[in-house]
Amino acid sequence: MDSPAANAAFAKQININFPLLSDMNHKMLTTYGILKGYDVQKETYQWAQRANIVIDKDGIIRHIEEGDSAVDPNTAVSVCTDLHKKQTSK
Amino acid sequence: MNRALALMLLLAASPAVSPLAQEVQKPELSKLSLKVGDTAPDFTLLSDQWKNVKLSDFRGKKNVFLAVYVLAFTGG
Repeated sequence: MDSPAANAAFAKQININFPLLSDMNHKMLTTYGILKGYDVQKETYQWAQRANIVIDKDGIIRHIEEGDSAVDPNTAVSVCTDLHKKQTSK
Repeated sequence: MNRALALMLLLAASPAVSPLAQEVQKPELSKLSLKVGDTAPDFTLLSDQWKNVKLSDFRGKKNVFLAVYVLAFTGG
C-alpha cells in the first residue's frame, strides 16, 4: 500500500504540485468500481486498475479511461483544456 | 495544471511483493461502475500531507483530473 508517507516521498522526488492521495481502505476504489480481484496461487488479491477520470466543476464525470488506455494521460488533459475553454468563454 | 486540479491516487493493493506476470490470472475486465454524465460519488482521501481531501470541496471551483496509479512508487 502506498501510504501518505510514501506518496510524500514520491511527490518530492518528481516535484509535483498537486495532491497525491491514498485510498487506504479501498473505499473510493470500490465505490468507483476500479478495484479488481486477481487470482494468484489459489488466493484472490485485490488491487486497482489504472484509470483517468475527469470531473467538472459541477461534479459531473466528463471523461473516463481505464486499463491500458489510461496509461497515457494526454486525452484526459485535452478534455480538461476543452472544458476550461468552454467554461471561460461563457 | 493550473486549470484543473489533478489528484493522483497512488494505490496499491495488497501483495507485499508483486506476483510475477505469469502467475496472475487476469479477470475479465469489468467496466467502471460509472459512466460519463454521472455525478461523481463524493470521497475523502488522505493526501501526502496527511490532510483529508474531499472531492466535493472542489465543487463550483475547479475541474478535477483523477488519475489512478497502481503501485506507482513500488516498482510494481
